Amino acid sequence: MASNTSSMKKIVCKDLHSYLRTLPPTVLDRLYCHPATCLAVFRDIPELSRHYVMRILYVEQAVAQAVVQHSNNKYFREQFEAAAALVELRVWYEQPLPGGMPGWLLNHVFRTNLVTALLGGGTSWIGSKDLTPDKYAKDILFLDKYALERWECVLHFMVGSNEGTDGVNKDITDVLLHSGLMRVDDGEPSITAEGFQFLLMDTSSQVWFFLLQYLDTVQSRGMDLVECLAFLFQLSFSTLGKDYCTQGMSENQLRFLQHLREFGLVYQRKRKSHRYYPTRLAVNIVSGLSKSNIDTHRPGFIVVETNYRVYAYTDSPLQVALLALFCEMLYRFPNMVAANLSRSSVREALARGITADQILHFLQSHAHPEMLKKSPVVPPTIRDQVKLWELERDRFKFNDGVMYNQFLSQADFELLRNYAKDIGVLVWEMPEKRVLIVTKSGHDDVKKFWKRQKSSSS
Amino acid sequence: MQRGGVDGYKVQTPTPNNEEFYFHYTSGSQVVEERKSKKAKYEAEINDDDDEEDEQIDKGAVPASASRECVEVAPQDEFGAQDYRQSLELKQDHKSRPIWIAPNGHVFLESFSPVYRHAHDFLIAISEPVCRPIHVHEYKLTAYSLYAAVSVGLQTNDIIEYLRRLCKTTLPSGIVEFIKLCTLSYGKVKLVLKHNRYFVESQYPDVLQKLLKDHIIQLTRKRELEDGEASDELIAGQLYGKSALQLNKPVSKPGDLQAGTSAGVNGATGEANEDVPDDIFELYDKMDKEDDDEDEAQLKTVSFEVNPEEIETLQKRLCIELEHPLLAEYDFRNDTLNPDVNIDLKPSTVLRPYQEKSLRKMFGNGRARSGVIVLPCGAGKTLVGVTAACTVRKRCICLATSGVAVEQWRSQFKMWSTVDDSLICRFTSDAKDKPMGCAICISTYSMLAHSTKRSYEAENVMKWLKTQEWGLMVLDEVQTIPAKMFRRVLTTVNAHCKLGLTATLVREDDKIADLNFLIGPKLYEANWMELQNLGYIARVQCAEVWCPMTPEFYREYLSMKSQRKLLLSTMNPNKFRACQFLIRYHERRNDKIIVFSDNVFALKHYAVKLNKPYLYGPTSQGERLQILQNFQHNPKVNTIFVSKVADTSFDLPEANVLIQISAHGGSRRQEAQRLGRILRAKKGSAAEEYNAYFYSLVSQDTNEMAFSLKRQRFLVNQGYSYKVITKLEGMDQEDLFYRSKEEQVQLLQKVLAATDEDAEEERMLGEFPGKFSINRKVGSMNSLSGADDAIYMEYSGRGRSRKAEHVHPLFRKFKKP
Repeated sequence: MASNTSSMKKIVCKDLHSYLRTLPPTVLDRLYCHPATCLAVFRDIPELSRHYVMRILYVEQAVAQAVVQHSNNKYFREQFEAAAALVELRVWYEQPLPGGMPGWLLNHVFRTNLVTALLGGGTSWIGSKDLTPDKYAKDILFLDKYALERWECVLHFMVGSNEGTDGVNKDITDVLLHSGLMRVDDGEPSITAEGFQFLLMDTSSQVWFFLLQYLDTVQSRGMDLVECLAFLFQLSFSTLGKDYCTQGMSENQLRFLQHLREFGLVYQRKRKSHRYYPTRLAVNIVSGLSKSNIDTHRPGFIVVETNYRVYAYTDSPLQVALLALFCEMLYRFPNMVAANLSRSSVREALARGITADQILHFLQSHAHPEMLKKSPVVPPTIRDQVKLWELERDRFKFNDGVMYNQFLSQADFELLRNYAKDIGVLVWEMPEKRVLIVTKSGHDDVKKFWKRQKSSSS
Repeated sequence: MQRGGVDGYKVQTPTPNNEEFYFHYTSGSQVVEERKSKKAKYEAEINDDDDEEDEQIDKGAVPASASRECVEVAPQDEFGAQDYRQSLELKQDHKSRPIWIAPNGHVFLESFSPVYRHAHDFLIAISEPVCRPIHVHEYKLTAYSLYAAVSVGLQTNDIIEYLRRLCKTTLPSGIVEFIKLCTLSYGKVKLVLKHNRYFVESQYPDVLQKLLKDHIIQLTRKRELEDGEASDELIAGQLYGKSALQLNKPVSKPGDLQAGTSAGVNGATGEANEDVPDDIFELYDKMDKEDDDEDEAQLKTVSFEVNPEEIETLQKRLCIELEHPLLAEYDFRNDTLNPDVNIDLKPSTVLRPYQEKSLRKMFGNGRARSGVIVLPCGAGKTLVGVTAACTVRKRCICLATSGVAVEQWRSQFKMWSTVDDSLICRFTSDAKDKPMGCAICISTYSMLAHSTKRSYEAENVMKWLKTQEWGLMVLDEVQTIPAKMFRRVLTTVNAHCKLGLTATLVREDDKIADLNFLIGPKLYEANWMELQNLGYIARVQCAEVWCPMTPEFYREYLSMKSQRKLLLSTMNPNKFRACQFLIRYHERRNDKIIVFSDNVFALKHYAVKLNKPYLYGPTSQGERLQILQNFQHNPKVNTIFVSKVADTSFDLPEANVLIQISAHGGSRRQEAQRLGRILRAKKGSAAEEYNAYFYSLVSQDTNEMAFSLKRQRFLVNQGYSYKVITKLEGMDQEDLFYRSKEEQVQLLQKVLAATDEDAEEERMLGEFPGKFSINRKVGSMNSLSGADDAIYMEYSGRGRSRKAEHVHPLFRKFKKP
């Protein structure tokens, strides 16, 4: 059982910071060429780091470390972490001052572009040319619906339902396969344990995770990562419901735009259209990460009762399919599904690699408005029970030990066993087979004793 | 308890005239064994949920329509759910309508809907509540529930129409059919006893005419032969629908009150009403008005008289062959033959709204209907019974489950009503008041149903009871009694009207539905959570405490046979420590604690070790009362240990903590009954979130876990939630018994040795089959009377396997969701 759970990889959704950290320095330096990126990074770093940057933003040469960071022992840890974050992202470097004192120097490119971003100036980030009013102007409601539909196509494709999955093309499949959310079984892509975990995440985390996986594959497609990232950051600063122009975008970026269109991050009426609208998925991409991950654009629909009943006000086959991952489905009405959260159904989900936390998070983040009136949202008994069901799969306690066997005589065995028992390190013994196990810490003593015995007897 | 310390209680003196379990035998010719076996067998009938040799009710007792099913084959979707998306069509304004109806009879109601209250009142009348947690309630339409609905006056078309309007979707056609099928013939004809003559009465002349065409019914008809030729004319009559219920309320007329409350409700939801389709309110108002009108209107009825001797034949013919079950009604106002009894409610007695509501269902049309009223334990069932007796004002017989309960009924009668002490007679083996000329007789089921020889005295009383015509029979805790015994009671004593009272209309074997035809339909069922929120019953925190088995105990547990396993898991030292800890914790808070153990060995061991009084089957009546009184009034006695004899009818208003260390398999009823011991509303503790605590101690990794899950189902469906406690905070700091390994091993040895000295209990514990006839053993008086421990035993394994054979046709329907 234990090995079962440990083999399951829990997928971790990296935040922006930890993603950027993995990029090579040259890429980072090139990234900072664009003001939007700098602003995005600046917003994402810890508060204290932001203070540091602001303090020395206009200082052109290296500044003594002691000046930037007050030597206050109490806050040493925070200070250290804040400084380290800046180093990791190559926002500043360590540079000795002429007197030999350690100092900090802001990354020059970052500095200039952040100044531009904060104070204005430079070229417009996005859609440089003014557009004539759109004949087919779209409002926010439409964009939300569109984005959700597109995104759900991807999810539908993952759960293998055939609801509108014709829109899923090879690009998406590639990303899904690359990320390990799906794998090819018998020529058909099928969902993996990680995929189930992915499905239970909230939409903005899903999009971000998916994009990270996509960016991994960008280079293999012959596209430039920096250009894509820069465009993504630009997009995240755009306004929802406004249209932007594709003019002035590089060939790579145009290709990237088409991909984003497939995922539902932007809306473009026709492929050749010069006009595109970013959707909420794109706008929230950076800002939505650190916030509480509740789908704001869709009201919750799940009611969880203290008697383990789950009622879902939905007609979406996807939502039903997701619920069915860990619930026993009872009835389907046109606009409602009644299900039961049972030990066996939850265990089935756990066996698939879904964790109790993910189940509870899913229930909580999609809770019906009626449920939200109560606090805590999910009844504590349900919360406890689901966790207990998870714990119950993991009842083994592991102690490290060293096994001694193949004793030549019973006397040898007893001698060693008695010694181990006396010094209190014996974990387990089996006299019939002359096997004993001692704790790891006791191993040295027992070994020495055994050697002494052997040498003295021989 | 003048004996000083609590030790005094522990002396157990089993007495042969312990009424619950023993009867007086006049001759000494019967050998002890035989007596015992009879007694045990007999008790098995009373209390065993899985009563296996329970009668196959002859199919004749139940109309065929009752076994009808409403099954519509629905396709399954890809997840194995019943898929109703094709068959049901969503209405445009579905958001403002509160219910869904599945074609298999399950109804889901949104409790947050603005029309919730109306829908709830309606659904409770026509269907059985399945579960009522916070947001969405589930009900189920059954043949019985519809039968009950008709019997309290709802019409087929109104039921269908109102459901149609409440429903978010179109009404499944199968449901409409089902309702028609179950209601069209039900409730149309009533058997009324007035002026000491039996009449078959109906508001529908055509129905009566049709029935009279049947030749058998022709024969039963009693004609006036005065002028030499029989008149075929039906007797026309009028039904004065004024509610017979009169209460000490500032409100003069029940109708006013009802109008008042419903107006209040309407007003309260008035603002929300805008998005509610008008038709829902229209209809509700209409039905409401009809309800009121009934009070004023005089309904035209027709009737014909029947020969009293032919009642049985008539009932059989009507009910079974013609599918027109007779509703029994008692027109007590016009009963002149039986003398009125001078008994009234005291002016100070005030009923709670739900008690009044339930009684209004019973006395709705000026007569008394027979039926069952379901109220949670501690919600004042006794008062409902007393009020019913005061309303009927005829001779009344009350049946309870035990001697202690009989005493409690008596004191309640004296508390709430003006009845004179001399009018109350107790008929138990302990107390035989002079019955002749009494107005209210209180006895136990076992006393009446006892079929073997009685003492001379008891025999006389029985004779007298049999000859009397009783106005009202109140049956307490009806759920505990199997049908066979019931029938015996009901045939022995003639009562015009039967009122069943219970808290938990569940049995593991589902035999509960027999009551519908033996007593009458369910008239009212209260919502536990609602009463709790209104403060009528205590707010209880339920907790399941997980006690890990110690390795030594678990090793033995794994190698033992099943009956020993139970004992081992009960005697688990960690459980003992948890119990001790909880007792200490709550005693410090000045709480009153009851500890329940089904296993007598464990009961004794725990109680002796912890130095607390205990009582169980063999404890004599006198000592029981003494212990209970000490528990109530003596500040030094804060904890008592009891066996399952205290499950029902032990009224302990002070108790607010209940710890359960061993229980009877997976019995949902027992769990609910036990919870009931602490449900009585507590005074002056409104500030706390909870004012009562229910702990169920469960040994981890043993059978107890599975049982406990099963036991909790009923309460969980009522909206209670169990908190699982895996570790009791602060337990390590306490100095508790069985801390060291040595002590634990000693305990284990004691448990292992227990086999011989406590063989009796052990055996009962494990193999309590219905084979008492071959139960040959020699034992002391003590062990013999101790056999009562077997009474309530239930073995779910066995029960499950045999259930299928037992299932009555009535219960087969709707078995599958």
